[in-house]
Amino acid sequence: MEETIVTEQARPFPIKTLILLLLAAALLAFPLVVSLPFPRRLMILILLYAMLGQAWNILGGFAGQVSLGHAAFFGVGAYTSTMLLMQLGLTPWLGMIAGGLVAVALSQLIGYPSFRLKGHYFVIATIVLAEIVHIMFTNWDYVGGAVGLTLPLLPESLINLQFHSGNAPYYYISLALLAIVMGVTYLITKTKPGYYFRSIKDDPEAARSLGISITRYKMFAMAVSAFFTGVGGAFYAQFVLYIDPNSVFSFMLSVLIMLIPVLGGIGTLWGPVLGAFILIPLSEFTRIYLGGVGGALDLVVYGALIMLVAIFEPRGIWALVERFFGGRK
Amino acid sequence: MKRKIVLLLLTLLAALLVACVQEEPEEPAAPAEEPTEAPEVDEEEPAEEEGEAEEEAPAEEETETEGEAPETVRIGVVYPLTGALAATGVASQDAFLLAAEIVNNEYPDLNLPMAAEAGITCLDNAQVELVFADHQMSPEIGASETERLITEENVVAILGAYASAVSNTASQAAERLGIPFVNAQSTSPALHQRGFQWYFRTTPHDAIFSELMFQFLADLRDQGTEINTVATIYENTLFGSDSSETQNQFAEQYGFEVVANIAYPSGTADMTSEVQQLIAADPDVVLPTSYVADAILMMRTFEAQNYSPEAILAQGVGFTEGSFLETVGATGNYIISREVFALDLQENKPIIGEVNTMFSEMYDRDLEGATARSFTALLVLADAINRACSTEPEAIRQALLETDIPSEQIIMPWEGVRFDPETGQNVLGTGIMVQALDGQYQTVWPFELATQELVWPYPAWDER
Repeated sequence: MEETIVTEQARPFPIKTLILLLLAAALLAFPLVVSLPFPRRLMILILLYAMLGQAWNILGGFAGQVSLGHAAFFGVGAYTSTMLLMQLGLTPWLGMIAGGLVAVALSQLIGYPSFRLKGHYFVIATIVLAEIVHIMFTNWDYVGGAVGLTLPLLPESLINLQFHSGNAPYYYISLALLAIVMGVTYLITKTKPGYYFRSIKDDPEAARSLGISITRYKMFAMAVSAFFTGVGGAFYAQFVLYIDPNSVFSFMLSVLIMLIPVLGGIGTLWGPVLGAFILIPLSEFTRIYLGGVGGALDLVVYGALIMLVAIFEPRGIWALVERFFGGRK
Repeated sequence: MKRKIVLLLLTLLAALLVACVQEEPEEPAAPAEEPTEAPEVDEEEPAEEEGEAEEEAPAEEETETEGEAPETVRIGVVYPLTGALAATGVASQDAFLLAAEIVNNEYPDLNLPMAAEAGITCLDNAQVELVFADHQMSPEIGASETERLITEENVVAILGAYASAVSNTASQAAERLGIPFVNAQSTSPALHQRGFQWYFRTTPHDAIFSELMFQFLADLRDQGTEINTVATIYENTLFGSDSSETQNQFAEQYGFEVVANIAYPSGTADMTSEVQQLIAADPDVVLPTSYVADAILMMRTFEAQNYSPEAILAQGVGFTEGSFLETVGATGNYIISREVFALDLQENKPIIGEVNTMFSEMYDRDLEGATARSFTALLVLADAINRACSTEPEAIRQALLETDIPSEQIIMPWEGVRFDPETGQNVLGTGIMVQALDGQYQTVWPFELATQELVWPYPAWDER
């Protein structure tokens, strides 16, 4: 905990603001200069996964509670907004918030019993509980069972959150969502809950002795994390216009959500963004150029890079970036 | 020090990527440089990538300008090439390649569309080039790859996507971009009912198969076999419950009485009570809908309880999967199932044998339901492109709507290929009934395609 704070305060990047501004300008201008749908779609996925990674990071990175069950929150968010849209015709914007809130409720249900477990047992509990949710949805006919739900095609408009003629609006929405999550994360790291999270992560016994209610703050971290994951799920449903249990509740999705911040830099503000900018294009391009021939070579290359990072820079690529910048100054 | 090692390894990885990509002749050379950038993005700013994508855009557009007759006609193929269905996807890839080989070269002896002359004859013998993409069984990736093939690889049509869930989103992407989407295998009945303009399905769907089972029973009844009652036994997820529901509708329509509908949980460890219910209901024909593990358990329980109805008529899948007969052996004999394709059809349709010989010589495996349907779909599409005499999507769509391929020119048991103008469903598609005889499924219906006499009723267990 001290480490990061010390680096940021003792060596503030003078060029940091400039880089941030350039990055923001580049991101805002992206759909204006790139008109092909595929690169745009890639960017939307990057922004969405950066958001999911950041949401995970609040719980897993800052509060130190590693969850491998975030697909449950993602899926519940996607299903809630979709069912509200299909049954009640509710605008996906409200559905998104409802989806986030249902994910929060689920997170508290999962969190209450499983936060009694520590370390690996907590991880296992999250995997198992998420799989239970996955199986329940697969067998629940009211929500389409194993076949899933096809969202009704509505006229394209902001209120319907459907855009058929081009995906630039999806891009800006995902960018805005990421910006919100980044803002919330920043706020958390700079206020009391953030300090509590870190103290819980570093030494729960000491934190408790200082009078911090560990369970309450873990539950709080879980709620914030689940809310944004659920919102991301609702956005995904609107973007793909089709959801089924295998694509929104899969264990692989939970792993990917965790992998992004872990690879980018766990417990850092920019790590998940960096992680998403590396992992998502990597998986897309390896699949495009190596996947067409079969033989899963793309997945081999993808896995090799993750192993490299795990071996040589377990703190994630952000730590590498920080060292490069730190070294130059 | 560590930093240098990481950099070194990253560079090596990038080099490996370049090497792999360049060995691959199908891919265009220019964008092939790009994936090498991906691992390197991490060092500096991530936004770097945007610049490249943007530079690429105008270049692609220039090449897109179509001349009078293009040298190649590019067709996108979005299939599962990795993951749980990789084996099927890769087999389908082989079938597509064989079909492309037949279109691109002269095979005057084969009575198939586009076989006699080389290439798309109307477009100065342009060659068909297949651009493969892997959707990894993900509906999201399926849509994304379809979009990429259309906008960046300039394909004129898409063949996809095997799994119904992925066909759903992939065809939606094609619909939005106005490119024909030809679906060879997905059987979910909902797919052709979406009011799409660009969606064409060559295979029959599940409701057609259910109806066929009752047409088969009605045929037998007309011949004097006494069949009055049926019972369904099905696994309780959507596949089974849907199947039972449609079977109930068709039973009523064809005048059979349903005496029991018995659901069981898929993956159950014991089926004694379900079989007891069947014995109590005593139907003439048992209609099971099961995945393979349950199908095996069901047959073993039938044998253990010494239960033999007049016939067991299965809704494919678990009962026709290769491992079923291998596992149950003689216990599986005399089961009847609906099927999409069987190799013994070649006795009445020699073209199937000719194609299968080519296929097994090239790829060392026989044709089966998935590969035969992939092969057929590409020929249907190539035929439409030839009649459209253009690579314009709208012209191809019109030509697809006018498709009329007779039964003799396809390797399926269908009556031909003709698309419903409203839904894009092939209205001439049909299936067959096969019966397990001596450990192998043989065609028994339609009677004109049968290679074996149907064994009816199902022999009692002690009389075998």
